[in-house]
Amino acid sequence: MRPVVVIGLGNLLLSDEGVGVHVIRALEEQAASFPEVDLLDLGAGGLSVLYAISGRRKAILVDCALMGEPPGTLRRFAPEEVRTVKALSGFSLHEGDLVRVLELARELGQAPEEVVIFGIQPADVSPGQELSPILQGRLQEYVDRVAAELAELQSAYAG
Amino acid sequence: MSEVTSSVEINVHHVTRIEGHGNIRLRIRDGKVEQLEWQVPEAPRFFEAMVCGRKWDEVQAVTCRICGICSVSHSLAALKAIEDALDITISEQTDRLRLLAMYGEQIESHFLHVGYLVAPDLAGVKSVLPLAASHPEVVKAVIRCHKLGNTIMEVLAGRRTHPVAMRPGGFGKLPTEGDLRAIRDGIEQAWPDAKLVVDTVLSLAGKLPAFERPTEYVALVEPGRYPFNHGSIGSTDTKQPVPVQEYKSVVNEHVVAQSTAKWAKWHRDSYMVGALARYKLNHKELLPKAVETARAFGLTPKACNPFLNSVAQAVEAVQVMEHSLVVLEEVLAAGIKPEKPQVKPKAGWGAGAVEAPRGVLFHNYTFDEHGICTAANLVIPTNQNHANIQKDMEALVPQIMDRPQDEIRLLLEMLVRAYDPCVSCSTHYLDVEFV
Repeated sequence: MRPVVVIGLGNLLLSDEGVGVHVIRALEEQAASFPEVDLLDLGAGGLSVLYAISGRRKAILVDCALMGEPPGTLRRFAPEEVRTVKALSGFSLHEGDLVRVLELARELGQAPEEVVIFGIQPADVSPGQELSPILQGRLQEYVDRVAAELAELQSAYAG
Repeated sequence: MSEVTSSVEINVHHVTRIEGHGNIRLRIRDGKVEQLEWQVPEAPRFFEAMVCGRKWDEVQAVTCRICGICSVSHSLAALKAIEDALDITISEQTDRLRLLAMYGEQIESHFLHVGYLVAPDLAGVKSVLPLAASHPEVVKAVIRCHKLGNTIMEVLAGRRTHPVAMRPGGFGKLPTEGDLRAIRDGIEQAWPDAKLVVDTVLSLAGKLPAFERPTEYVALVEPGRYPFNHGSIGSTDTKQPVPVQEYKSVVNEHVVAQSTAKWAKWHRDSYMVGALARYKLNHKELLPKAVETARAFGLTPKACNPFLNSVAQAVEAVQVMEHSLVVLEEVLAAGIKPEKPQVKPKAGWGAGAVEAPRGVLFHNYTFDEHGICTAANLVIPTNQNHANIQKDMEALVPQIMDRPQDEIRLLLEMLVRAYDPCVSCSTHYLDVEFV
């Protein structure tokens, strides 16, 4: 297990909902540049975050996020900077809330020292296998932002 | 009925923004039930449209993305339907390796359901979060069991969620014998965790509501097995199982006013699928540790309490761990042999069924002569359970309507949770405010 993990989340069949997975797929092409980093596509399996981040020094999560921003906006934040306003039915394992999952990881003492979320505001989460034109047009920018964060880490570890 | 508690108004999701999940509406006036409805939105029919136009070897790669919990089941049901349509036969090795992948998913799903959704109810807390404070070792054991299930899927199916290695006719990438030995060791080492989770549920099992309603139970059946990836469609109401290809005569999907999702019925108004149904139909095939677990809970094949579905899941979690070890020994004894599935596309119609963690799942496809999918039909376990949830509520409410409103509401929610409905994985995005 490598000290840093980047996790892409989302459902690829729901347009922009899957943006986290699209980012991970693009990052995989540069995987050789980041020997200290595991890149994981956890898809719609959000609860797997619990053990995927356990024992790491740093976790970076990329996910579709309703943040009240214009569609396509990327924001980098720590889980402590936000409050979830997501309503869950509580009926099923088939709904996820990353904020609550991270809270549980902290409660159990299994969260890394540093957790960073890259939230991307969707334009369209209706059924579909492509990103909306707005997010597709900015995909490279998202990938570059995450890669820049990894490059900084890489030099910090090397130093 | 006392006058004091004669009016109740429950509307679980009236004011929230939940998508894709059900709603309970109950209105009691003057001691009379005026409305009681389990309302559910349309199941993801749009996934069927997405596979149309896809090639025969791409369909399972789409369907496995439907759900982050049941992705192996959706993948395998698709593969079985494709293989049925294109007359593809698979080797015993492929069959065993697929079963192991299914077992990984059952381990993941059952431990998560019992640990995250059922245990908090029984412990009297609102979610798993307070449970993590009061029972951290149990929650950590649940997470380790979850990881074990996902590791099994990763080794067998190529990924921890949304498998890629399973293809029509065989495997794109086979696990090594070393991988399989590592899984075997992982399962052996997980027994104390599994026992801790099961014992914790057992210590709280007295809190399971004592409610019984006989109904029809439907699951795959096959002589000499407790099947997950084989068999015909069996029922507690008939001794004559039905071939998977005739699944439409079993599910009899129909439209009801209160729900945009279709309902199912076979010999009665409703039937139940899932762990309890499998246990009732196949209990004679359980292995010793699973039998012992069922005995510890007092679970018997006569059980007709839907809340015991969670207990049956605990029994099955033990069963699949135990049987995984048997299958792994068989695979290792035979040795992993390279295979190259040869498939010639052709026109055809095929149906496939597997036991997903929540119950029997049907996929059905039609292909043209180029192997392009022209029609698809998916019948998910939860849709088959909706009518039964409604009938359970209708029987349960008169028994509990003199209780405080909050307690009635909790019991109805617990009933739905016992079925662990899988409506859609559409709501994974974050919804946050900056503070």
